[in-house]
Amino acid sequence: MKQHILFIIGLIALTDFFDTVSQLILKSSINSLDWQINSLKKAFRLIWQLLKTSRIWFSFLLSLISLSIWLFVLSKTELNLAFSLDSMRYIMIAFASVIFLKEKVGITRWLGIICVAAGIFLVTMG
Amino acid sequence: MTAKRRLTFKIFLFLIFTDLLETFAQFCFKKSVFSANSLGINNLQDALLFVRTIIPSPFLWMGFLAVLVIFITWVTILSKVDLSVAVPVASFSYITVPLISSIFLHEHISNLRWSGIFFILIGVILVSASSRRQERPA
Repeated sequence: MKQHILFIIGLIALTDFFDTVSQLILKSSINSLDWQINSLKKAFRLIWQLLKTSRIWFSFLLSLISLSIWLFVLSKTELNLAFSLDSMRYIMIAFASVIFLKEKVGITRWLGIICVAAGIFLVTMG
Repeated sequence: MTAKRRLTFKIFLFLIFTDLLETFAQFCFKKSVFSANSLGINNLQDALLFVRTIIPSPFLWMGFLAVLVIFITWVTILSKVDLSVAVPVASFSYITVPLISSIFLHEHISNLRWSGIFFILIGVILVSASSRRQERPA
């Protein structure tokens, strides 16, 4: 039983990891294009530019893998448990943003992110 | 460069819109899957039959449409704010879904869940505040 839980935690960490990498690629691609969107037309043009970069397709692939693992997890365990553990995604995204995107995350933002993650844990457990 | 990374009210509305659409997409996918009986998938043939029965479902296509719109708004959001701001603030649906199901479906919200909603709210406020303060020294 305990092994089963560890297996599920590992899988959820894996889907959150893939999702984080996918978001990182998307965000860094957008950053590298450095585009100001102020109309729908510009948004479409940015997306067109994004679709022409090859790594964006890698990020789509990672999302797809992440989704498949997630659906597998949902079929194997209780929804509450799965969704609460999924809150580790927020911490991963925060670390990834600091390390790879060089975003400045101060104490206020760290506190906020921890509150959000803890809150989601409570909402989904309750 | 930091100037455009500010979380404005408009972007905040975009994030809430994305959240609502996300909830809608989940609802559509669930609806399309449940209309086909998915319980007995044991082999590839069953899986193909399952896919063939859900493809005509209008819910599936509404779900895909919602995902497409979500992608457009999400790219717009990420072009304006930090990833470490957008993702936590996008957790708003964890508040809206229990509140909506409590108001419209009269579902009971436990104390544990209320405290979670409170934590998320505080977290979103802190993250939003941190993205505003960042702009000034630049």
